[in-house]
Amino acid sequence: MQFELSRVEKIYISSEENKVFGAKDVSLNIHEGDFLALVGPSGSGKTTILNLIAGLILPSSGSLKHGGKDITSMTLEERTKHRLDYMGFVFQDYQLLPILTAWENIEFPLQLKGFSKNEIKERVNWALAQVGLEKMGHRFPKQLSGGQQQRVSIARAIAGRPQLILADEPTANLDSKTAQEIIELFLKLNKEFKLTFIFSTHDQRLIDQVRTVLYVKDGQISESRNHHV
Amino acid sequence: MKSFAYLLKFSYRNLFRVPKRTLIMILSLSFGCGFIIWDLNFANSGSKEIMKDFLTQYAGVYHVTHPDYYDAKNKKQFNSYKTMTDEDLERKDLIPKSTRRAVAPVFISGEKKTLGVLMTGLEVEKERKLSTLYKAIRAGKFLEPEGQREIILGKKFAQRIEANVGDEVAVVGQAMDGSVANDLYRVVGLLDFGGGDLEESLAFTQLHSAQEFLSLPPERFHQRVSFDVESDDLPKLKSLGVTRWFDLIPEIGFSVQFIDNITWFACIIIVMVVSLGLSNTLMITFFEREQEFNSLNIIGAQTKWITISLMIEVFIMGTVAIGLGVLMGYLAVKYFYYHPINIELFTGGKPIIMGGMTIVPLVKIYALPQYFWQVPLMIYFFLSLTMIYPLIRVIRRSKNAI
Repeated sequence: MQFELSRVEKIYISSEENKVFGAKDVSLNIHEGDFLALVGPSGSGKTTILNLIAGLILPSSGSLKHGGKDITSMTLEERTKHRLDYMGFVFQDYQLLPILTAWENIEFPLQLKGFSKNEIKERVNWALAQVGLEKMGHRFPKQLSGGQQQRVSIARAIAGRPQLILADEPTANLDSKTAQEIIELFLKLNKEFKLTFIFSTHDQRLIDQVRTVLYVKDGQISESRNHHV
Repeated sequence: MKSFAYLLKFSYRNLFRVPKRTLIMILSLSFGCGFIIWDLNFANSGSKEIMKDFLTQYAGVYHVTHPDYYDAKNKKQFNSYKTMTDEDLERKDLIPKSTRRAVAPVFISGEKKTLGVLMTGLEVEKERKLSTLYKAIRAGKFLEPEGQREIILGKKFAQRIEANVGDEVAVVGQAMDGSVANDLYRVVGLLDFGGGDLEESLAFTQLHSAQEFLSLPPERFHQRVSFDVESDDLPKLKSLGVTRWFDLIPEIGFSVQFIDNITWFACIIIVMVVSLGLSNTLMITFFEREQEFNSLNIIGAQTKWITISLMIEVFIMGTVAIGLGVLMGYLAVKYFYYHPINIELFTGGKPIIMGGMTIVPLVKIYALPQYFWQVPLMIYFFLSLTMIYPLIRVIRRSKNAI
């Protein structure tokens, strides 16, 4: 598994004269087990890079590949299927479906993938166990705390055993104690299951714990720093 | 199949997202559906009841005559003197609840005036059983079955020729052999249909008196009039003409059709108004969930899947509402079957006069099966239209990224 961004640019055109670079000359290789963070001020282009990796937006130039497959040549439907098959997502505001219980929220992408009933049961229970919410599966999101909701969101992301998990500001809405617990959960999942994580974050605690920090400025990766965690 | 079952479950659960709003949408749709079913049944039953009442007063449901009696080229020319006998009928039981009549355009002279009128000879006993003509007698009495040369006049006609109950009037016309027919008749009763024109143009006598006047043998007559109001079927007769009431008095038939059509039209307008409201609510509902649709798309749900789930959601809601509406409509129809509506409520207490006759205003509502599937189909159709714009908004939503 390798996600490969090569000289990727994303230009937002508001007029002929006014071009804004969402991403500029971004080259990046993501390997199995990576645990990296995109760091930078608001509007620096972190989220644009996440969107490009996810295939949610297409680059204006450059190539974007996964396992040798060119994501840019895929149709919108193929890219959605590609995300379903290979990626998991964790959002700042959790984005759980309020009409489904925690168990059913985790079940949702597995249903889309067409897993059997037994496999879904096994995977959802496994994911709930990993995030420490085995007994909370029957609860609706509004019956859970922010930290618990984020755990469910993580469980939903990992239940399909994706090759890559993209997390956009995953600790931004949490108090410091809960944020620390969530970071530890990410670390545990990365270590135990070699799950690959890419974070977009401002959170110094998370930045301190990732192995690779990519500083983004004006759409460019200006600096890369490796930590030994 | 498994994924469709999940779609169904997902869509069903979404209905409980804002339960009060869903409930209001269901109730507005079901009330609309129930009301339309009731209204159409009411209009149709009302027309039928009124027509039944009107036809049993005098006109009858259909006339069996000599094939040339109502000349196709000139239907208004009432008496072309073509008579028939019961021998001409292939089977008499083909024309249930019927009575014979002989008609003659005549002049009737009173004390001071002579005026033209259509005199009809009736089988008195049968007429009493089948029609309600005898109920329109306001002065004097109805004809005696065995009486001779008795005549009943319309009240207005009697006033114009200054004749009264007990008076003798002279009747002049043309007999079937072409000779002048004239005789003296005694006025036994005056008819009052409630102020309509018929009181000026009709007179009635016994069938045998009319036959004698017209020099007709006892077996010959002009019309066999059926009062079988419960059946819409017409007998198929080879050698005789069968004319429906609709063709005899088309202006009334078209009025009834117009009422039915305008009721449908009003119902469609109601559904359109409800649909517009529903469309707006759906827009709000979908708009509120735009971010959620975006997240679903990010985690792998195709836009098509989201769109189908929304359509199913609306159809589940529609089906529940329509089911409830059909039940409400049925119960309302049944209630007003046992508690007939006085349609004078809609006329400000004024009597309803149709074709020159006053109509008894109590309407029993009958459940007509076709409305119980036509109305749901119409609502499903409009519901589908209702969804189009909100769904286009969902498909073309602006944001599609983290």
